[in-house]
Amino acid sequence: MESTKTDRSRRYLNPYLGGVLLGLVLIAANYVAGRGLGASGAVKSVIVAATDVIAPAHVKNNAYYSEYAKQHSSPLKNWLVFQMAGVLVGGFLSGALWGRLKLKVEHSPKITSRKRLLMAGTGGILFGFGSQLGRGCTSGSALSGMAVISVGGFITMAAIFGTAFMLAYFFRKNWI
Amino acid sequence: MKPRVILSISVVSLGLLIAAVPQNTTHPYKLTADQLLEEVKGRQQYFSPDELADMLVNKDPSIQLIDVRSADEFEKFSLPGAINIPLTDLLSDQYSDVLNQDVKMNIFYSNGTVDANQAWLITRQLGFENNFVLEGGLNHWVETIMNPEKPAATNPNEELARYDFRLAAGSALGGGGAVNAAIVATGDQGGAPKPIVKKPAKKKASGGC
Amino acid sequence: MGPLVVNEIISENTNFLLAFLIGIGFGLVLESSGFSSSRKLAGVFYGYDTVVLKVFFTAAITAMLGLLFMSLFGWIDLDLVYVNPAYIPSAIIGGVVMGGGFIIGGFCPGTSFCGAAIGKLDAMVFIGGLFIGVILFSETYGLWDKLYMAGFQGSPKLSESLGMSDGLFALFLILAAIGMFYVAEWAEKKFPREEY
Repeated sequence: MESTKTDRSRRYLNPYLGGVLLGLVLIAANYVAGRGLGASGAVKSVIVAATDVIAPAHVKNNAYYSEYAKQHSSPLKNWLVFQMAGVLVGGFLSGALWGRLKLKVEHSPKITSRKRLLMAGTGGILFGFGSQLGRGCTSGSALSGMAVISVGGFITMAAIFGTAFMLAYFFRKNWI
Repeated sequence: MKPRVILSISVVSLGLLIAAVPQNTTHPYKLTADQLLEEVKGRQQYFSPDELADMLVNKDPSIQLIDVRSADEFEKFSLPGAINIPLTDLLSDQYSDVLNQDVKMNIFYSNGTVDANQAWLITRQLGFENNFVLEGGLNHWVETIMNPEKPAATNPNEELARYDFRLAAGSALGGGGAVNAAIVATGDQGGAPKPIVKKPAKKKASGGC
Repeated sequence: MGPLVVNEIISENTNFLLAFLIGIGFGLVLESSGFSSSRKLAGVFYGYDTVVLKVFFTAAITAMLGLLFMSLFGWIDLDLVYVNPAYIPSAIIGGVVMGGGFIIGGFCPGTSFCGAAIGKLDAMVFIGGLFIGVILFSETYGLWDKLYMAGFQGSPKLSESLGMSDGLFALFLILAAIGMFYVAEWAEKKFPREEY
């Protein structure tokens, strides 16, 4: 895995070392909180909290919100919200360390920035929707689920990567 | 060496190791004090003597009486179908199949309530389900079922009906104290299927990505 | 003995502090592995960069092994660890929608936060999309609640469903993962792409 690239900002951790470290983080999460990592849950938490401020009646009326609000005394006081705040800090630290802090839109030379942003937004909407239906995203359901050998985790993992592989051909221009 | 080779060698050897050792099946304390207090407050662990008598008369197969008094006391008198697990031997391995299972409802009893409740508390904290306590213990049982007090004729009909039931149950269950060996045997036949040992109910952290 | 929170060994506020620290670790590892770059992430689907597959599976088997060993040593009670419930139809359909989102958007939720942290504008837009998607689902929940709740299977473990011990399952998964790593490195040689 010796890279010929000399640019410091393109140097990354060896993927296997990164994987082992990520596994250790996941073990720590399970050891402390009895659960794995997660990202989409934090988004949901923030949304429920915000809706509760703007339109509390709406939270009560919406079955999906109220179910969530019932289980959590204060939606913002949520494990995943704190964890995702940490991810922002951790990502920033690593970016600063490797000289990767830069405002930019990353895209294939074959497409414009505008198209890339449009695609990113669309992908985000799909991912947000799917993560709610599938009860968790790549980190919460697939990765954490696999670590505890849950059937649900393996199904979600197979569905996400299987679909992305199948659709990869149609979106190749966006990436290569 | 390439990182992949290092990783492969280490995870395969660890994998072989973990596949070879038996899974850790020790189950330490399962319930938090709060959860336990909730159950105690709700008195969910109790069976009343009337409920028990009804089930015994109907030969309900789903219950297993467990006498937590000493073996001597058990010899002298026990309830029909009961088995003896002295409180001091509660955690002995030979009884774990009986106490930690998913098929029958175990009902602990002792003379009063204290020993049976202690047995319940210990097994419940271990996360075992299906364990209960005979409310009031044997003393209460004898009072209500074996020597029921005849209610005054002015009492509501339910009281009288309950008295009749207790009287009938008392005689059917061999009132007066002698152990009915036949019933004891049917309750604990060797041919009966062994209870399936199930993992205790899982009370986990809430999930959520 | 873990999990610390479930067993009430640490207080709620300590738990949140630890959540924040764990998040920092999560972010650090993701970013330094290159998960803040959507083109690096998408590479796995074209074979030119399989870092996602390597990191993902290495992490999964590391965590699985770690948890099993910790359970063996009595450091953690795996019965108290959250096992995702299996609702088969919604897991599959949700996963398919997420897969579409992945190949179109180039991020998953965790990595998009990472990308946003180092200033990737596309990652920020992706996060905006995430919010819209979650709101969309919640607002139209009435249309999906049957699908959402269908096919509940409890919280089964795959090892139990296959009738093997957790350890044996872990060994098989490790062998499968190593097989995939070899294929991945072969693919990287076959579909090289110097600059992306």
